[in-house]
Amino acid sequence: MDSPATARHGWRLPRHELAILLATAAVYVLTGWADPNHTYFANWAESRDIILRNTALLGIIALGSAVVIIAGGIDLSAGSMVAFSATTCALVLTLCAAPDDRRLVTVGPGGIAAAIAAALLAGLLVGTLHAWLITTIRLPPFVATLATLVGLRSFARALCLFVTKQRWGSESQQINVNTPFFVWLKEHNVWIMTATFIALALLTWLILSRTVLGRHLYALGGNEQAARLSGIRTDNVKWFAYCFGSLTAALAGIFLMADSSVAQPGNLARGYELNAIAAAVVGGCSLQGGAGTVPGTVLGALFLRVVIDAVSKLIKASADVYEGMIVGIIVALAVTCTQFGRFGQGGRSLFPGIRGLAAIPAIAIPLGLLATMAAANVDLLAGRTALFGGVVGAGVLVALAAVRHLQGRRGP
Amino acid sequence: MTPIVSFRGVGKRFPGVTALDDVSFDLAPGDCHAICGENGAGKSTLMKLLSGVITDYEGQILVRGVPARFRDTRDAEAAGIAIIHQELNLVDQLSATANIFLGRERRTARGFLDDESMEREAARLLRELECPIDPRTSAGALRVGDRQLLEIAKALSLRSDVLIMDEPTSALTEGEVARLERVIARLRGRGVTILYISHKMNEVFQLADRITVLRDGRVVTTVERPATSPREITAWMVGREIADHDFRSRGPRGPKVLEVRRLTLPRPGRTQLNHLTDVSLELHAGEVLGIAGLMGAGRTELLEAIFGAAEPIWTGDILLDGSPVRFAHPAEAVAAGIAMVTEDRKRLGLFPDLDVAANVSLCGLHAAARGGLLSRSREDHLVEGMIRDIGVKTPGPHAAITSLSGGNQQKCILGRWLLTKPRILLLDDPTRGIDVGAKAELYQLIDRLCQDGLAVILTSSELPELLVLADRILVLAEGRITARFTHGEATEQKIVEAATGSQAPR
Repeated sequence: MDSPATARHGWRLPRHELAILLATAAVYVLTGWADPNHTYFANWAESRDIILRNTALLGIIALGSAVVIIAGGIDLSAGSMVAFSATTCALVLTLCAAPDDRRLVTVGPGGIAAAIAAALLAGLLVGTLHAWLITTIRLPPFVATLATLVGLRSFARALCLFVTKQRWGSESQQINVNTPFFVWLKEHNVWIMTATFIALALLTWLILSRTVLGRHLYALGGNEQAARLSGIRTDNVKWFAYCFGSLTAALAGIFLMADSSVAQPGNLARGYELNAIAAAVVGGCSLQGGAGTVPGTVLGALFLRVVIDAVSKLIKASADVYEGMIVGIIVALAVTCTQFGRFGQGGRSLFPGIRGLAAIPAIAIPLGLLATMAAANVDLLAGRTALFGGVVGAGVLVALAAVRHLQGRRGP
Repeated sequence: MTPIVSFRGVGKRFPGVTALDDVSFDLAPGDCHAICGENGAGKSTLMKLLSGVITDYEGQILVRGVPARFRDTRDAEAAGIAIIHQELNLVDQLSATANIFLGRERRTARGFLDDESMEREAARLLRELECPIDPRTSAGALRVGDRQLLEIAKALSLRSDVLIMDEPTSALTEGEVARLERVIARLRGRGVTILYISHKMNEVFQLADRITVLRDGRVVTTVERPATSPREITAWMVGREIADHDFRSRGPRGPKVLEVRRLTLPRPGRTQLNHLTDVSLELHAGEVLGIAGLMGAGRTELLEAIFGAAEPIWTGDILLDGSPVRFAHPAEAVAAGIAMVTEDRKRLGLFPDLDVAANVSLCGLHAAARGGLLSRSREDHLVEGMIRDIGVKTPGPHAAITSLSGGNQQKCILGRWLLTKPRILLLDDPTRGIDVGAKAELYQLIDRLCQDGLAVILTSSELPELLVLADRILVLAEGRITARFTHGEATEQKIVEAATGSQAPR
């Protein structure tokens, strides 16, 4: 109970935020220096735009995930919600455009407003559905939002086929959006998305730290029973949290549709929910609920995107191949760092027993393979990639075994 | 004959409390030995020592004459000592058989689970215990009495010859109690030693050969059952010094604010047993109504029913200022001017992630907000005023709540409720786990609030607390009011007799 982790409370000490900010700057500068083309320095404006756009998109969703996590829940459906919102938006545009206009250029201001409103309304409805499933049917949040994660995307695809068939006479898996307003949005995507992200972050910060509702969110996440016994209508607070989570995803859906000029429910935003949760967790939100901050979440999203971008610069491979791995490693490292004090205390070993022994190759083998793949990009090591990977793998194996041996001798 | 278990000068100290002090007595093999004592006398701690739950203590425990120091419950089980907890440790999703053999599953020659042999053995054990259940039923589907027998079956399959039963009848119907008594008699016939913890005098006198009385962590005496009487035992249980200060300096009591008439609260899914039966009470402004009773007597359930914290499935009437109310959510009770400090501070009261200020202001945030928007300065002002008023010792309003002592945490929670300006304050065992000095401060605070016209219902596990604070005391036993005393009439002896049913055995 009295560990430093709980004493370091939610939203006043910016130590964690400062650490992420420094790490982000360090990654940026080191990459700019290590990258043979020095893209970050030579082509600063372009790099900045790419990172800002990606951060804004991830960050908008992450803010929603953070609110749900702080309230002690989890929203796994964000990626599907993005696709569903984009599809809803595009379908309303389709219905408002001329019947033979498959590029949707003929939609008027009324149609555009209706499409955006429909997408946001879809977010509210899904959030309400989540809250109902969780508070009234008493499904665990994980199950309720897993159901919509799987269900919403499929629903969006079916809806897309149905409406295109009705409207155009032929089914289509995707809808191209060339409406002038959304084209304009795409042309100015960096600044509009960044401004929206900042505005949303300010709004979320205001709610979380300056309103009664925000305090109730923290209380609900920190101790649900005590919150109820304090007279807080916890079910209503949950309703807000899940609606906020789905609404931010719906907003991201509109931007993503404009940005890619297409609503393609099959593949749009797959896996985004996990990146958003990762950003919140890296930013200091506790999956147990009750702790987390808006600045932390914003910086968590920025850090994730900077590292993903940096690796793509260094490896010169498509970034999305490595994205999942990077996110996974960062999440594990970030949470490990916040709990680091616990190791070493009370003689707790890193690799206890047979299970610890088995964990050593589980870490060393993937690292060796990674080193092999990385070596393929380095001219100096041409023809010796496998050797290099093997040496790295063996080195890690020996090092970890040494750690285990030393801890075993020192401990009880 | 060598005693099967001997305690030799056993002591256990927790920060600020001495739970056990120099406890020495012997258990003769095959005996049924009862341990009696009030809530907090140290019974549970002693059993945790013997069953290997608590491992660091002073003194010695000898098992069959040999000093034993268990590192965990498995060690104790290996030495033949098993405990049947008040909260039963069963995996609800697994079958009765799987629960009995949990962690010691039998295997076939090929290494697969040997369900057939385990089920046969489980059926045999359950038959012996008069437990008519299918060994394949999942534990979660069983009734409380059967779940308890399942635990006993588990202990028997371990070949335990010392069985500790901690308040085994607290959730049983009369039929189930009678069955348990038969089971205990049969176990003793097989030479099993039973350590029976209870405060129900009729059970103790029906079952026990010998009785040890604990009070404030010390052994008062160990006697043969025929040589004593329930009255004598209760006198030993309570005979401690009562705080001499009377924390009652009130004026005439005010108008009646709350009335409860024939409140009956069923246990969900149980027809024979109620949490509360026909409870009636009145509460006036400016008085403290004390509610005494053992654990599980229905004290918390009564307060929760009034506060709307439990499902409103009760029958009867609750009248607030003469008009009937039925709160379905604590928010409604709070709006009507009722506040409740809950029993288990850590589980039901504290927000460990929030700081002191946020913990205190939580229920009174509306006073610090305009249009839903919080003013930090107004919040701090409110909190600082309250902290000063009730004397919370904290480094500052933004310190971590977990860094405060238990007494100061409890004051914060009380302050949280006082910010809602309640007319009725429900205090559920508010001084549990806090030190003596903080207790006295809380008593003074409660007395002051009463002088200001607040109506207070106070439940407590500690009788002296009720005796110094309450204007009137009701005693609950098994969900019924068994006695009503005014401040002048009440004594510890009378209350304990009413709470344990030792004046009129069933």
